[in-house]
Amino acid sequence: MNLNSLVSMQNISKSFGSIEALKNADFNLNRGEIVGLAGDNGAGKSTLVKILAGVFPYDSGEIFLEGSKVKLNSPKEAIELGIESIYQDLALFEDMDLSRNIFIGREPVKNKLGGLIKSLDKEKMKEETLNALKMTKINIKDTSALVHTLSGGQRQSVAVARAVYFRAKVVIMDEPTAALSVKEVQKILDLALELKAEGIGVIIITHNLHHMFSVADRITVLQNGSPVGDKKVADTNIREIEKLIIGNDFS
Amino acid sequence: MNNFLLRIRNRPEAGSFLGFVVFFIIFSIFGDQFFTLGNQTSLFTLTAELGIICIGVGFLMISGEFDLSVGSVYALGGIVFMMLAPHMHSLFALAIVLLIAASIGWFNGYVTTKHLIPSFLVTLSMMLIIRGLIYMITSGRITSHKGDLFVLTFFSAKMSNLPGFLSDFRPSHLWFVGLLILFHYILFNTRYGNHVFATGVNKPAAVRMGLNTDWIKTKNFMICSCFAALSGVIAVSRFRMGSPNIGLGMELEVIAAAVIGGISLYGGTGAIIGILFSAFLICMIRNGLLLMGAPPYWYSAFVGVIVLISTIVNIKLQPRKSKF
Repeated sequence: MNLNSLVSMQNISKSFGSIEALKNADFNLNRGEIVGLAGDNGAGKSTLVKILAGVFPYDSGEIFLEGSKVKLNSPKEAIELGIESIYQDLALFEDMDLSRNIFIGREPVKNKLGGLIKSLDKEKMKEETLNALKMTKINIKDTSALVHTLSGGQRQSVAVARAVYFRAKVVIMDEPTAALSVKEVQKILDLALELKAEGIGVIIITHNLHHMFSVADRITVLQNGSPVGDKKVADTNIREIEKLIIGNDFS
Repeated sequence: MNNFLLRIRNRPEAGSFLGFVVFFIIFSIFGDQFFTLGNQTSLFTLTAELGIICIGVGFLMISGEFDLSVGSVYALGGIVFMMLAPHMHSLFALAIVLLIAASIGWFNGYVTTKHLIPSFLVTLSMMLIIRGLIYMITSGRITSHKGDLFVLTFFSAKMSNLPGFLSDFRPSHLWFVGLLILFHYILFNTRYGNHVFATGVNKPAAVRMGLNTDWIKTKNFMICSCFAALSGVIAVSRFRMGSPNIGLGMELEVIAAAVIGGISLYGGTGAIIGILFSAFLICMIRNGLLLMGAPPYWYSAFVGVIVLISTIVNIKLQPRKSKF
């Protein structure tokens, strides 16, 4: 039993109709570790992390979080267990302000009229939103700004702030660098390293192997829904990972 | 000035207020007897009955769905209430009516969210089914209201015990304003309101952030049907009778009022308070045209033009990029 183990997914299978997206897949993540999840389109990367985020139910297999078996029936359950995600599309609410975005689903409330009404604690939301944004090092002072008025990098940091502010244990980054400028990419990669330093486990999915190699400790490669390689970054190189991704079909 | 304009732009109800003021002034100047207490209170009676439904429809539209069955549920609520009232306490009859309405709303929500059928079609079918049912149970005849006066007194009769001009008002006015303030508060100041917005703005993201969007929508369908039925009960107890045709076409008036009130057809934006002005505006147009001596047939054309203008204005005022 690995005491450092944060997430252990064992023998996970998942089909969508007749398509087997995952076949007996195993995946492990330790505390303070960044694991890159690589694979071609349709290899099952997104399915795997969406199962961990509670978005998809899985057909069979077991998931352990810090050694104890968990059942992830909904995104809410995953979030409550400390599994947070930063999605490719950021999953932000364009027409809503920053603090409502950051606190969506876990808004603090205060009692009014002797507990008859539970109203949003807007001051607390505002205050904590500022604290959360400070962590991402992007300076946004107006928490009542609507998300659609923000730049790409600012939006990214709102999504990041939302994921890391609530004592996450695991942070899933699904293509976090896809739509960003070079400078913004570096910020996101730095952030992954900061999370790691705090003992948080990070799963990063990206098509850009250079990005992945610059931060990951380990890389798991999926092919047609099964893991085909699990390499320490120190012991491998981009060429080898590329071969694993492409597989035997073309070699 | 710039700041002021920005603030206005972020208030979805501003347009309906403007329209309300413009028409109110026009009708007051040119309409004979328009600006009298009696006319204004009877206008407000109609406004309250339309507006109560609008609150529910507004919540539903903000969460991204429609309800075309409210006109039929309004009629069903009224007619079932009148059929039950002679046999029991009228408050009990009202409770049964609301229970039936809640089940209809639940069914609309269930079919829409679990079977992924557009609510437009689900509630269109429901509208036709219920209207058919009403003709069946009434055999097409007018039903009259007998039994105790409890609901009548507390919802729709003129408050004639009150002194002076207050005696022209009805409890339904208070119910409407009370519900309006309550639901406006819920929308902007509670977790539920925040979740209703989130569901309408970006449903896939809301699901991934752990919100049960299906249940949120279903609850809004239930609120919507309950308010429609309540409004039906208020209307028939005011007339003390009701034909099976009441509420025909009402669903479109309600949606028109919601849109003029600043609620987006695509969900995600809107404010409940705008309904106060837009519902009044719609009722005022019918009444005002009549008092100005214009042919009453103009009414629907007028409402159509106003809906069109307010939609265009609302879209132009929003500084966002197009989502479509």
